[in-house]
Formats: sequence, C-alpha cells, structure tokens
Amino acid sequence: MPLAIRTEKLGKTYLSGFLRRPFVALSELTMEVRVGSSFGLVGPNGAGKTTAIKTLMGLQRPSAGQAWIHGVAITDHESRRRVGFMPERPYFYEYLTAWEFLDFYARLTEVEAAARRPRIEALLERVNLDRFRHVPLGKFSKGMLQRAGIAQALVNDPDLVVLDEPMSGLDPLGRVLVRDIIQEERRKGKTVFFSSHILGDVEAICDEVAIVVAGTLRGQGTVRELIGQTADEVDCTFVIAGDPPGRVMRRDGDRVTVRVPSGNVDATIDAVRAAGGHVLEVHPNARTLEEVLLDEVERAKLVNEKRLGVLA
Amino acid sequence: MNRVYVIAANTFREAVRDRVLNSILFFAVILLCLSLTLKEMSIGDTAKVVRGVALGGTSLLAAVIAIFLGVGLVYKEIEKKTIYTLASKPLPRWHLLLGKYLGLWITLAAEVGLLTLFYTLVLATQQGLPSLGVYLAMVLLMAELSLLTAWATLFSTFATPMTASAFSVCIYLIGHFADDLRLFAERAEDGPFKTMLSILYRVVPNLESFNIRDEAVHGVPVPWSEVLWSGAYGLGYSAAVLAVAMIIFERRDFK
Repeated sequence: MPLAIRTEKLGKTYLSGFLRRPFVALSELTMEVRVGSSFGLVGPNGAGKTTAIKTLMGLQRPSAGQAWIHGVAITDHESRRRVGFMPERPYFYEYLTAWEFLDFYARLTEVEAAARRPRIEALLERVNLDRFRHVPLGKFSKGMLQRAGIAQALVNDPDLVVLDEPMSGLDPLGRVLVRDIIQEERRKGKTVFFSSHILGDVEAICDEVAIVVAGTLRGQGTVRELIGQTADEVDCTFVIAGDPPGRVMRRDGDRVTVRVPSGNVDATIDAVRAAGGHVLEVHPNARTLEEVLLDEVERAKLVNEKRLGVLA
Repeated sequence: MNRVYVIAANTFREAVRDRVLNSILFFAVILLCLSLTLKEMSIGDTAKVVRGVALGGTSLLAAVIAIFLGVGLVYKEIEKKTIYTLASKPLPRWHLLLGKYLGLWITLAAEVGLLTLFYTLVLATQQGLPSLGVYLAMVLLMAELSLLTAWATLFSTFATPMTASAFSVCIYLIGHFADDLRLFAERAEDGPFKTMLSILYRVVPNLESFNIRDEAVHGVPVPWSEVLWSGAYGLGYSAAVLAVAMIIFERRDFK
C-alpha cells in the first residue's frame, strides 16, 4: 500500500527560556498514512499535533527521527511538491484581495498559467467567496479567512492536503462546508491529513485516526478499531409494561433500556414482541472517540505520576 | 527562479500598498519642494543649495525607507504567521529571502527613480536639466541602499524590528563615519582598543564610498573607474551579508 506520510520516531524538543531548558513537544511519533485515506490527528491542546504538522511541513527541523512525504524525506523541500497546507488560525496578507491571494500561491506552486484562472474561479465558488474576490483579506471575518485558507491549500490540486484545525473558528455551516470538501477530496483519491478538536467531525469523516497525548502517540487505527465498535454488548430500548430480559440500565415510565450480550439481541427482541412490547432503539454499547481520548489523557497522567513517583 | 520573482513582486505590492511608506514618500516630495524656497533665504550660489538639499534629502529618506522596510522583511512574516504558508511551499528557503530582498530593492529603486524624476522636473523649470553627476549619485545611492537593506534583512532574520532598527541605524551611522574610524584606529595607541577599531573598520561597510553627492552638487567630475569600483564593492558586500542572512534563515524554526 503506497504511503502519503510515514514518520519514524519523529521527535521535536524545544529549548526554552534563558537557561535553554528542554521541552519535549513530540516524542517518537511513528505512524503511516495511506494514500487516499482521510486521516485525523486528535489530542488535547498542547499534545503535539501542531508540532507534528509543522515538522512535516518543513517549518521546523525535527530533533529526532525521520519522516517522508510520498517517499521523499521532509528535509527536502521537494517532499512538499504535491502538498497543500493550511496552518492553524491562518493569517494572510491583509493587503491582498481574495483573488490576488490565491493567484500568488498558485504562481508559487507553479500552477500553469492557463490553468490558474479557472482553478481560482472554481475554488472561490467552492468556498463561497466568489462575491468577495476583490475584497482585501484584511476585511474578512475569521470564518471567511479560514475558507480562503482552505482554498489556498487546494490551489495546486495537491495529492495530499494537510489541514491544521480546519474546523476551528467556523460556524456550523462552515464546518459542514469543510467536511464536504474533505470528503470530496477523498473521493477524488486524494489524501487528507488533518488535526481537530471536534471529535464528532473526526468520527464522521476519518478512515483512520491517531491519538496524540503529551507528545506521544497513544493509539492509531480506524475509528471502529479505536472505539471498539465490535462491542460485546448491545443496548436495546423498548416500550413494554414489564421487565424485558437483560440487565436494566434505565427506566422511564414504560420505556426500558436493557444491556444484553450481542448474541442475544434477536432473542430479546422476539421476547419483547411476544409480550406485546415495541422496539425503539438498538445500538452497540461502544465508546465515543471522546471517551477514548479522555481515557488516554487519564492514562498518560497516571504514567507521568508513576514516573514522578519513581523519581521521588 | 520564477518563484523568486513572484515573491519579489508580492513584496513590492505590499510596500506600494503600505500607508506609512506612502507618507514617507509624500514627505520626500514636500522636502524637494521646500528646497526650492531655500534659494530665497541663502546667499551665494543658490542653485547649489537647492541641489544639495534635494540630493541629501533624497538619500536620507531613502535610507529611512530601506531600514523601515528591511527590518520587518522577515519578522513581519513570522509575527503575522504568513510564513507558515510561505515556507511550507516546495521551494528552498533562500529563494524566499532572496525574493523578499529583491522586492524591497525594486521598491527602493522605484522610490529613488520617482524622486529623481520629480527632482529633474523641478530643476528643469528652475535652472535647467541636472548634470550626469546627479544621476550617477543616484545610481551609487542605490548601491548604498542595497548594502543597507542587506544588513537590515540580516538583522530581521533574528531580531525584533525595534532591535533590528537600532542595529541598522548603527551600521548606517558608523558606515558614514568609516573614514574617521580608520583614522581613529591608525592614531590609537597599540592595544586591544586599536585592534577593536581596526576590526570594526573592516567589518562595517564604508558608506561614504558611495557618496558622490558633493561632487554632483558642485559639478566636479567623478572618474568612471571610481563609480564602477564602488558599485562592485556594494554588490559584493551585499551578497556576502545576504549569504549570512540566508544561512540563519535556513536554520530557523517557525514555532
């Protein structure tokens, strides 16, 4: 399977303050992003997501390990030839109009002259900024800037789109737009690699997710794998006078939710129907990505405390 | 190299749309106009006074613009975080710096060109067309500005605009007193102070070697060899300073 991104024990340590104290922002990140997948990097604030992205984009030099984009080492600027990138909370040249802004990046990424105009037109329309093409970016709202930033990342029709927190600062409509764009790119066979706090969106659009906590990778896999969708138990909600078979989890008048082993679902439903009840809802007792992330944060804390305990 | 031009063009566009810069340019035009009124107040050769004030004013204001724009050249990109989208593009970082430097140079050339044109028009109506020496003085002013801009660019790769401005102004001042510095070094007593002065004289550019404004004002011819030599000196020195700036810029982390 060809890889869009591969990192091997990638690390970044900052030296901060007068005493140049080391601060590990990213440690031994090893992951693989398949070509054509949509890959979400999730984690709490300060987990190292942006550090990882900036290192991959050549904005920082790695302190340890290596990484490759489309097989080219990230230390070579050629690795970013087929890449589009939007940084977190993008700031752009305020004196440029939306059109000039996209034209500048199109020229910089060597989009052919004939292809530039139609490409920019299409992108402005795609991110709903076509009415503002001649307005300087300095007059744009935060959400409009974010959309302009996404258009900028797509201007060279890249094979890999890297977006740092693309949903932040967007209203629900803007979020739906970004989600649609990500899915559209994926359908075209492009790879989308992005970080996000909004886990619902990540769950909805990602093929694969990596969880980063305190600079280290705490898990990688499909959303299904991470949240344990192959749950052994299923929660069933019925409208029934008596108690249905199974462990009662909740009761609200004649609405009862029971938890049963996944193998017993059919039998339970049959029994409820036989007793004159109705089925309202059946869903596997799986954790959400948010719960998985919170667990990992807790676990990281425990590991840290243990380590400090040993040191003490 | 086409992309170096794209960045240069964008830097030029940024400068043209900068209100502060336009105000300085406006101020320069006012100064040129004011120089005309000086002839009413001066005694002796009034035409020379007008030429002197106009040439001196142009060079000083151009230096102010060079420092003002140069010190923010890289810093502004980092502070405004526009560097993230720029430095992540598939081109070597030194192309970015070269493009920004050239953009600034083109801006300065346009400003000096505009002022020279205005000066020519004003002088043509008052005392006839200026001599060739005036234009040569402007060409050498551009060589001086290349050097000053290179230093400002170097400072902007690691210092805040405030610090970088202070450093650049120091270079400008010391550069114009370089001959005095050499004299001072020669006459100083042997010891660490003398060594320090001679090192300083060798490192700091001799900006007076680009100054043929007095000759232009008084109509004294300047040998071509001197003009060419000064031009080559400016070009070589600027390239060396820019090379150091590129090395620093190449190694920078953009947090």
